[in-house]
Amino acid sequence: MFERRLYFHIDWALVIALLGLCALGVTMIYSATTGSGSRLFMTQIYAIVIGLGALLVTVSLDYRTFTDKSHLIYIGLCLALIYVIFLGDVQMGARRWISLGGFNLQPSEFAKAGVALVLAKFFGEQRGAPGWPTLAIGGALTLIPLALIAKEPDLGTAVTLVPVFLAVAYLAGMHMRILGILALCLVMAAPIAWKFALKDYQKSRISTFLDPTQDAKGAGYQQIQARITVGSGGLTGKGFMQGTQGQLRFLPVAHNDFIFSVLAEEQGFLGVLVALGLYLFVILRTLEAARLSKDRLGSYLVLGVLASFTFQVVYNITMSAGLAPVKGLTLPLMSYGGSSMIATLAAFGLVLNVRMRRFTN
Amino acid sequence: MAAPEDRRQAGVRLSLLQYLLTVVFTVLAVSFWILQVVQHDKFEEMAANNHQRTLALRAPRGVVFDRDGRVLVENRHSYSISIVREHTKNLDRTVQLMSAVLDLPEPRVREIVERHRREPAYRPIVIVPDATLAQVAAVTARRLDFELPDVVVEEVPTRQYPVDAMAAHLFGYVGEVSDAQVAGGSELKSGDIVGQSGIERVYNDLLMGDDGEKRVVVNSVGREIRTLEELPPTEGKRLELTLDYDVQKAIEDAFTVAGFNGSAVVLDPATGEVLGLSSRPAYDPNAFASGIDRATWATLNTDNERPLQDRAIQGRYPSGSVFKMAVAAAALEENIVDPDYKVFCPGHATFFGRSFKCWKAGGHGWIDMRHAIEQSCNVYFYTVGNMTGIDKIHKWATLLGLGEKSGIDLPGENKGLVPSPEWKRATFNEKWYSGETISVSIGQGAVAVTPVSMAVYMATLANGGTRVTPHLLKRVDDGQGWKDVPAPAPQSKVTMNSDRLQAIRDGLWMVVNGAGTGGRARIAGRDVSGKTGTAQVISNQGRAAARSDRDLRDNGWFVFFAPRDNPQIAGAVLLEHGVHGANAAAVAHHVLETFFAKKDGRPLPPAPTDLKLNIVDPLYRGPARPTGDDPRPDVVANN
Repeated sequence: MFERRLYFHIDWALVIALLGLCALGVTMIYSATTGSGSRLFMTQIYAIVIGLGALLVTVSLDYRTFTDKSHLIYIGLCLALIYVIFLGDVQMGARRWISLGGFNLQPSEFAKAGVALVLAKFFGEQRGAPGWPTLAIGGALTLIPLALIAKEPDLGTAVTLVPVFLAVAYLAGMHMRILGILALCLVMAAPIAWKFALKDYQKSRISTFLDPTQDAKGAGYQQIQARITVGSGGLTGKGFMQGTQGQLRFLPVAHNDFIFSVLAEEQGFLGVLVALGLYLFVILRTLEAARLSKDRLGSYLVLGVLASFTFQVVYNITMSAGLAPVKGLTLPLMSYGGSSMIATLAAFGLVLNVRMRRFTN
Repeated sequence: MAAPEDRRQAGVRLSLLQYLLTVVFTVLAVSFWILQVVQHDKFEEMAANNHQRTLALRAPRGVVFDRDGRVLVENRHSYSISIVREHTKNLDRTVQLMSAVLDLPEPRVREIVERHRREPAYRPIVIVPDATLAQVAAVTARRLDFELPDVVVEEVPTRQYPVDAMAAHLFGYVGEVSDAQVAGGSELKSGDIVGQSGIERVYNDLLMGDDGEKRVVVNSVGREIRTLEELPPTEGKRLELTLDYDVQKAIEDAFTVAGFNGSAVVLDPATGEVLGLSSRPAYDPNAFASGIDRATWATLNTDNERPLQDRAIQGRYPSGSVFKMAVAAAALEENIVDPDYKVFCPGHATFFGRSFKCWKAGGHGWIDMRHAIEQSCNVYFYTVGNMTGIDKIHKWATLLGLGEKSGIDLPGENKGLVPSPEWKRATFNEKWYSGETISVSIGQGAVAVTPVSMAVYMATLANGGTRVTPHLLKRVDDGQGWKDVPAPAPQSKVTMNSDRLQAIRDGLWMVVNGAGTGGRARIAGRDVSGKTGTAQVISNQGRAAARSDRDLRDNGWFVFFAPRDNPQIAGAVLLEHGVHGANAAAVAHHVLETFFAKKDGRPLPPAPTDLKLNIVDPLYRGPARPTGDDPRPDVVANN
């Protein structure tokens, strides 16, 4: 299992960056919520502790153990997702949670790592550039959980599975031409999706994004408020717990989807630079882990994990500045949310795992 | 293991991703830099607009006291509930919730909002001007639950006037400043509450305070979190009026019991200080205090009895025989006759080929000026007036204050009319006929006077020729203590021959204390001097022919001063359709009794319950009206 010498190969820089982001998140949650007497930040700290426990597990076992069992993990996940659709807890109009006695688990958060595992294994067993059949099977493996999550409905989380597939296929050597065709298909599918697949609130969010002023008090409200929140922060920010937009609730769910806006308001552009720097460091460090991996399987796994993480980080930060349509996508490592925190830390355990075992056989 | 070829390709692809993501993060950083540094000022202002509100702190208007320091007009706290559309998320929802919470019909709320739609969105639209505490509680409790940051409860100082519409016209009323008033300069701004009539209007600059303001931080549902800055309002200056509450109350009480419309004005004849001033019917100025509703306003405006008119300064009435003292003064001062000059009254007299009647059919026989005033003998004044001539009559009537504005510090005063050849030429382009002088000599013809000018007339006769300017403002407290306001200069001043003037005063004394018609005003030991007047609303012939329901009964005047020597009070009482001046004397009696009781420090007389007026109309020809106990002796006109 865990060999002593592996300890020296743990990427402590990455661990410190991850913990730094977690700490930043807890600080901002504290600022955004304690004014109303809430103790959400404590819940977040518990989640981080549990997440670190999960990380220990995912780092200890050889990642190949996980990929070998990935089909079982995958099937288990899909069953959990089906369970959620029929028997899950309803909160805010969506069935996303499994209640585990005081703690609500969100299986869709774990689907990201699950899909990364199964795709890494699948593509890892293929030789050469993946052809259409391989891509089709890989695509199908992605689409099943994606459809189940979208059904909850949780379109935001569902969409984060797409980059996992694209990233792994890309690294597996998928022809750029095929990538282009896939991209084209997505563009073509957009109007059809608009017409049939999207719900009204989703449509209004998107059309509002194109022109926020058309509905300044409704759907566009959050977007305008996000921009005001970020913009009014200035270079150095209004100070810890001094933000008016977040503290006075002009910005909804500040501790959750808009945690980065709170950071921008209270810590200013300098705070934003620190956070962006930490995220970029985590991403580049993870890319390096992919590069250093001793096998393709490891690279695929690392990149699969990184893909959904990066997609979510970039989208959420863009949205926090009011520069993208408002969507219920949290900011990994910083937003309030236990399942997300645990799943993300567990996934980074796999990244550390791959890098750490680059010299083992 | 991966083939070296694959490995190399994967390495390239990873490097590509590396560059791509570095670029993406750089773009993000630049975007934040643009928002947070380049456009910072704009967003900072928007954030401030979000959470900072400036609330007006309305300054209370100055408190108004009577001459004894008794509070007449003060302020009470009231609450208004408004919608500020600037903070509205969904106006429909706000209107619905508000009408539900306040239990108001939704169309009405909608109509109010609609009426103010064109105003700037930051201006509160007042839905409930003077909300009950229950309404305020209902709104403040639910405002947060339903997230209605656009519903505002404001504390507004509201004018509180005495009960029963006491001196309503004198105080006037307040209302929102009109667009014309704002355009008319000064420092008024839209939404200000200003005096619209009475002293509220005349002394608006003194009474109006300076509004303060409060900048507060609010959260997204409009709850005030803390105060950033507070500029307290400055209360308006306090005014002390010349008005005497007890005298005013006596007037109002007597009028209420008498049951007639009309007016009374009571002055200090030495200074022109107004001790009491009333006009009936009155309105309740409190109805205007928090914004009058349209129905009430329309009712007040269309009422045939015209309650908004201040009859004391705006009503023009024929003077009747009260005018006779002006003729007497002219004849005496111009040396046409002396007080002992006698005329024989056979009950009628002929001038310029036309016969003029005295009211007393059998005539008064030989009569001098004192008795002619006491008996109100028409023939005597026809004769003396004819000798004096219209020019001199006009001159002296004017010097005594008739046909002129009194100059009182109330808005909208009307001028009466004392006819003269110039006036006739200017108005009708006709020449004056000597026969008209005969009518004018007993106050008929075109003679028209306002009650306040009648009071000035009596004050001038009382003080010996000084036409004092009636005024209401005695002292002002500008925050550094009370300061006297100098009395306005008299309108004119002549020194009348005191011996001859005494004859008029004697005549007036006899009206009340002798065999005259003013006996109802008599107070033992007070030497009340006065004169009744009964002025036709329509000529006898016209009245006989009239077939309308209009009240055609005569107006009754009583003008007075007391005591005869060194008078302390002067005034005029008019009862519209009061049938006879003696009834007006009964009203004056209660006022005088109150005035002297107060002077002596005796207990004030209680409000009368029955003035025992004689309201049987001797000329009434229509269906039977309720009759009084004893019909009046046959009176033709003018006594």
